[in-house]
Amino acid sequence: MAGALAGMKLIDFGQMVSAPYCAKLFSDYGADVIKVELPDGDAARKSGPFPKDEPHPEKSGLYFCMNSNKRGITLDVSQERGRELFLELVKWADGLIENNLPKQMETWGLTYEVLAEANPDLVMISITPFGQTGPYSGWNAYDLNAYHLSGASSRYCGRPGEMPLEHGTFAADYFGAVAGSTWGLASIYGRENAGGGQHVDVSSAECIAATFVGGQNIGGYAQDGKFDKRTGVGMPLGAPATIVPCKDGHVWMLALEPGQWNGLRKVMGDPEWADLDLFQDMYMRAQNADVIYPFIQEWTMQHNKMEIMEKCQAAGCPITAVFTIEEAAEQPHLKERDYIVELEHPVLGSVRNLGAPFKLPASPGGPSQAAPLLGQHNAEVYQEVLGLSAPAIEQLHTDGII
Amino acid sequence: MPKALPLKGIRVVNFGWVWAGPVAGQTLGFLGAEVLKVESNARIDLTRSLPPFAEGEAGPNRSLSNHACWAGNGSVSLNLKKPEAIELVKQLIAESDVVIENFGPGVMDQLGLNYEELCKVKSDIVMFSMPAAGLYGPMKAVRTYGLSLTSTTGLDSLVGYKGGGPIPVENAYSDPFAGIFGAFAILTALNHRDQSGAGQHVDFSQQEAIMQMIGPAYMDYAFNGRSGGPKSNEHPLASAAPHGVFPCAGEDRWISIAVSSDEEWSALVGAMGDPEWAKRADFASLDDRLKNIDALHTEIGTWTQASDDRELADALQAAGVAAAPVLNVADLLTDPHYKARETFIEVTHPLGFKETIYGAYVKTSRTEACVNPGPVIGQDNDRVFKEIMGMPDERYQDLIAQEVIY
Repeated sequence: MAGALAGMKLIDFGQMVSAPYCAKLFSDYGADVIKVELPDGDAARKSGPFPKDEPHPEKSGLYFCMNSNKRGITLDVSQERGRELFLELVKWADGLIENNLPKQMETWGLTYEVLAEANPDLVMISITPFGQTGPYSGWNAYDLNAYHLSGASSRYCGRPGEMPLEHGTFAADYFGAVAGSTWGLASIYGRENAGGGQHVDVSSAECIAATFVGGQNIGGYAQDGKFDKRTGVGMPLGAPATIVPCKDGHVWMLALEPGQWNGLRKVMGDPEWADLDLFQDMYMRAQNADVIYPFIQEWTMQHNKMEIMEKCQAAGCPITAVFTIEEAAEQPHLKERDYIVELEHPVLGSVRNLGAPFKLPASPGGPSQAAPLLGQHNAEVYQEVLGLSAPAIEQLHTDGII
Repeated sequence: MPKALPLKGIRVVNFGWVWAGPVAGQTLGFLGAEVLKVESNARIDLTRSLPPFAEGEAGPNRSLSNHACWAGNGSVSLNLKKPEAIELVKQLIAESDVVIENFGPGVMDQLGLNYEELCKVKSDIVMFSMPAAGLYGPMKAVRTYGLSLTSTTGLDSLVGYKGGGPIPVENAYSDPFAGIFGAFAILTALNHRDQSGAGQHVDFSQQEAIMQMIGPAYMDYAFNGRSGGPKSNEHPLASAAPHGVFPCAGEDRWISIAVSSDEEWSALVGAMGDPEWAKRADFASLDDRLKNIDALHTEIGTWTQASDDRELADALQAAGVAAAPVLNVADLLTDPHYKARETFIEVTHPLGFKETIYGAYVKTSRTEACVNPGPVIGQDNDRVFKEIMGMPDERYQDLIAQEVIY
């Protein structure tokens, strides 16, 4: 069965997480994605994680998980001949996905204006921390800077008085990647409506500031001039609603509505303290948080996370175990759904990877080919896509262009 | 040729409620699709009752956060407890391309609106379901809230202060993330429909979509059997140092600084005025800086704490260092960058009051996103029932009187 995006052609001219993950969403659902790397390769190749922590450009786990189902070529766009070849490739493509800082694309002479002249139907998806316009668009920045400029950490993540926290992964890069994939795919899909290609300008910080933080906070602040900050507690207005420790780790303790609270009481064996008047609704329980959480913790510390989750779920409470990475990866639910896949890689051997993010029964997707080695598809792509002869390709090698 | 939005001509019936489902509809709406949320006064969505309210006056059409998160969706009011309402919604689906729902598994079945039923009225319908943990599997009926669903993906285990336990993120990052991601999934299915003539039922497990974000940590598990844990603001793959948030002058003011190359490190050292400590061998290479990252961060924090966050960010950026202020909610509205990009816009709600919502959170050079405020419950009833479905006025009034259209 063909993938849902079969026939669509894209260039991935990105490094690390945001643009490569965006491009992977296209390649994993059937688009033909050619990854263009500078001769040094995507910076992810240096980033690991590596088996046994031994760095090797073909053994990066980050590169492996961001670049499945793509063909890989090398091209030095800083040389004039390299730049010409890049523009030839742009003529072939429906879309180009990149995450270079705007000034870098300018230095290479590869701005949207230049690319659109080569191919007016091109959809260029640029994903950077701060975007293509605005006073910070010229700033140097990474995922960390983007996430913390979004308001998300100040509002929602960390203890009051202590430093605000990132989300534990490349949270801004992923958010920007997904926004870029959606708006970019719509722009390709609806190109006839729109009358041609366009530049899709994604600022990861802005996507989060708008949809996550702004959506729930900005209207109230604009009207009333009041705003909130992080509390370090999952839900400060109701209780119990936070992460608490248990015998073998942590659980997300949630019992707000009366049915949920009564379910939890039953699972805990109807302790006497739970009858106290000050615990009778979620708001009162929150006001007495310093009393109730120690009581609950006394119980959770005697039980394992899976036991707590299973019993509480059965009693109607939305309580879940806080899975470690291992527990998340090995859970039976995801096994039954074939979420983890295994890919053959010429250097790494057989390696497991996260599979398709969503299931399309009529046009299945997900990783099936491992990430390309550096320049793995040079001969194939330069010959088939750009029509170069074997000697011409050889010359490009000699000249250090590919 | 006049420019139309990319998704002009696509009609979406959105049963999505609370947050993730409405954001999926919103995204398609911003991009030109006609999105009709099906809701009812018989069972008002809880997010419509969330304060603060416009002009301080409570009401289901006055919740400011609800409007921001739902803008771009239209609204049709149908009381789905009445069999006639189910028939009417099927007639609307017959004229549509996509159906969105984020109920638990089985609810659409109970309503008589499962995929098989929808195919009977529209053979190539794209049905998009986004339950917490997918449509099948032993955990499909798991009860979670958006903000705790992340605990089943491993992501929560990575958030917190170094050496401590997990700290809960206080709102559902997963909802807008999954909503926007869902719109991508819908577009892939529409593309497939256009190519093949076949619709399908998309099984979008929010758990699996969100779990994509642990990819880098998962690879360390796959290779080395390690599970990772909270590490404050350090680089997820330990390939940059310093990499953190440092105190600045004022209450709860901070700056983020990330240094991944030796050039950036030299630039930072220069900007700090070449202090003696920075010349120590402990900090010479990236490996050294990673090994001694706690001491490194302490030194930098000592240097930053007397400075204004914005002035310091400007100075560091002038030197080429990736640094930016850590913004709070109030800052978002006045920040020059978000102002220049018109991230937040003041709009007039259909009921006449002004409110601030977010606009196109992605910028497109050829087409301008369509951001409609609202919706008011049932605001599109007239047009949908009379124009799209061709219902005579008398019957329309009858159905309103019977609280089927309600």
